Amino acid sequence: MTAKWSIPALVVAACVGYLIYSASGGTSEYYLTVSELRSHSGSGDVRVAGVVQTDVQKTDGGLHVTFTEKDATSSVPVDYTGTLPDIFKPGITVVAEGRLGTDGVFHARTLLAKCPSRFSTSPYTQ
Amino acid sequence: MILGFLGAGALLAALVMGGFSAVLSFWAGRQENPVMVQVGRRAFYAAAAMIVAAGGVLEWALLSHDFSLAYVTEHTDLSTPTALVVAGFYGGQEGSLLYWALVLGLLGSVSLVASASLGVRLAGYAAGLMAAILSFFLVVLVLVASPFDLLSITPPDGLGLNPVLRDGGMLIHPPVVLAGFASFAIPFCFAAAALLAGKPGSAWIAHTRRFALIAWSLQTTGLVLGMWWAYHVLGWGGYWGWDPVENVALMPWLATTAYLHSSMVQETRGRLRAWNFGLVILAFLLVVFGTFIVRSGVVPSVHTFAISAIGPWFLVFLFVCIVFSVVLLAARASVLGGGAEPVAPVSREGAFVLQNLLLIGVIAVVLWGTVLPLVSGMLGQQRVVGASYYERAAGPLFLLILALMAAGPLLPWRRAATLPSARALVWPGATALVVLAVLLVVGVRAIPALIALPLIAAVAGTCFTQYARLGRGWRRVPSVLTPASARRMRMFGRRRRRYGAYLAHLGLAVLVAGIAASHFWQQEKDVTLAPGQQVTVAGYSMTYTGSEQRQLSDHTELVALMRFGDATLEPARATYAGLGGQSLTHVAINTTPVADIYVVLAGVSADGSASFSVFVNPLVTWIWAGGAIIIFGVLLGNIGERAPAVEASLARVPAVQGI
Repeated sequence: MTAKWSIPALVVAACVGYLIYSASGGTSEYYLTVSELRSHSGSGDVRVAGVVQTDVQKTDGGLHVTFTEKDATSSVPVDYTGTLPDIFKPGITVVAEGRLGTDGVFHARTLLAKCPSRFSTSPYTQ
Repeated sequence: MILGFLGAGALLAALVMGGFSAVLSFWAGRQENPVMVQVGRRAFYAAAAMIVAAGGVLEWALLSHDFSLAYVTEHTDLSTPTALVVAGFYGGQEGSLLYWALVLGLLGSVSLVASASLGVRLAGYAAGLMAAILSFFLVVLVLVASPFDLLSITPPDGLGLNPVLRDGGMLIHPPVVLAGFASFAIPFCFAAAALLAGKPGSAWIAHTRRFALIAWSLQTTGLVLGMWWAYHVLGWGGYWGWDPVENVALMPWLATTAYLHSSMVQETRGRLRAWNFGLVILAFLLVVFGTFIVRSGVVPSVHTFAISAIGPWFLVFLFVCIVFSVVLLAARASVLGGGAEPVAPVSREGAFVLQNLLLIGVIAVVLWGTVLPLVSGMLGQQRVVGASYYERAAGPLFLLILALMAAGPLLPWRRAATLPSARALVWPGATALVVLAVLLVVGVRAIPALIALPLIAAVAGTCFTQYARLGRGWRRVPSVLTPASARRMRMFGRRRRRYGAYLAHLGLAVLVAGIAASHFWQQEKDVTLAPGQQVTVAGYSMTYTGSEQRQLSDHTELVALMRFGDATLEPARATYAGLGGQSLTHVAINTTPVADIYVVLAGVSADGSASFSVFVNPLVTWIWAGGAIIIFGVLLGNIGERAPAVEASLARVPAVQGI
């Protein structure tokens, strides 16, 4: 390509850079363990990975659920409304997306379960 | 037991033949020794044959329930339906790698059969590179991830296939996606061989383009089938989640889309040679990178892959491929520069260049979103991005690409003295305005929707304009074949590819319309209903009538019955006895002409009331239809196509003679 094209190329590159910068600044979330959640000070939604404990309480026909999410050192109560992932049960690892309320409960907006198979080509989502 | 030894032996033999083919082909290519190049090619065929044998052994072991093989035990059990036992071949890490090698061996053999005309040196290097890549997979299969590993004790029954994979989609989606991934290696081998041989002319383009088109078609089909599967099986109401696994399948597809367009500029104008090499190489590097990402577990994904020993191997392979490609492109930079006239910004080729830049931009967006957890994790606290990042960053780029799809085909080659004539723009412009007016009248005020849908309409309008021109051309063809009319028909034969491409554009417009409508206007409601109660979502009412338990061959189902007009929707939760009583949602979908009613059963309480997530997804069927139209267009335009007359087209463009 000749020099003539370097200007459009630069314009596109600048636009793409700006789009990436503005979009990732506004929407990226911290990916934390339960212990990191306790010391995390930022605002906005975060994702927290941990293991579901045996205290799962389902109400409202299974649409509302509370449970404790735990990693090696700490735990947090989680509150979630919505359809649960198929494989949700005590002992599996879940990633809760939401924020820690002032009540000390993590209010999850979405709940992702990690697929237990060794290799799977299909996503379990929400 | 014996099958394990047979399979492992076949893989080892394939590795020996593959390695032999790689070394011999390179050497023979360098020496320009046609006999030895032929021998090297035949060694590649032999390696492919041994992989076929290994695949046959694995399939045999699966079908005969030979649980002495760890792979058979881990992915099937006695209750698995036969069709899914067959599919167990690619249902796990090791088997899917074997399947990959199988596709590369077979498609690679086909591509090498036709490569002799490209010259001894180029054919030798291409075979050598392909054999080297095949050998890498075979090394991994033999040393780290063998599907033929034996268990010390043969269990009486296997663990069974993951329930989520027990679906008809399992029979078609993974093999197509994996075949697409594997086939990106073939264009790469021919491009890199052309560079190595110092023959960056146009001969390789015709050959590479055909296999790039095969890879692209497979990947298109695989992506659409993957969306279809996610939508019908996973029960979250959507079809695309911007998960790393989806992203890495999308990126090589985008790069190859760019290549399929820019290669036309090289075919007709002899321009963009270096750029075309770069795109083919980029597509392959993205495939290797993606394979490393999804199979090593370095990026958090909802698909967890067990901490797998193959990660470091793919990392090294990726590193080698990147270094090789960069060095090769740099070393050949001098022969790549074309001294022909520059590309005018307002012209068909100008539109292609801009489209290429935008597609690279989308790749950059997707790549950054995919590796952000990795990069931020190294620098400090790990961060992740969700769907809204991709929508905000890639959305505007996609809109610009749509605009180019509407205007680009109307621009003439070389240079447009004026902008496309007003007459050409009438129909696309009119359709866009009509759609815009309709949207405004029905009360749509969301700016993205008001931009996207008229643009989609304009793309469709452009395609129809081109077909109308074709139709007028046909009317002039008289019933008696004169030399002039025969010439016109030959002209159409030559332009078949273009009209197939417009059909593919039209299919993409249909597909994007489905994505846009379901994205902008999806409605969702979570409800708990007692028997007899009714729920209304987006004007669609349905009544919950009760639930029942059903016993099927390998699972039990708790089915909720929901009356919707004359139809009964049966969302269910299935529980599989194997795998520790894992349960699985069975979504109920009722397709009406304008929207899908999509019902997921969350659970049934002791008092008989049931909880549901009800989605109304507009125009989702358009996505599947659009995918089918794209593939139909590609087949129509290219099947049975002879190698395009590169020399003839070059002869018409004096400026690029003598490449």
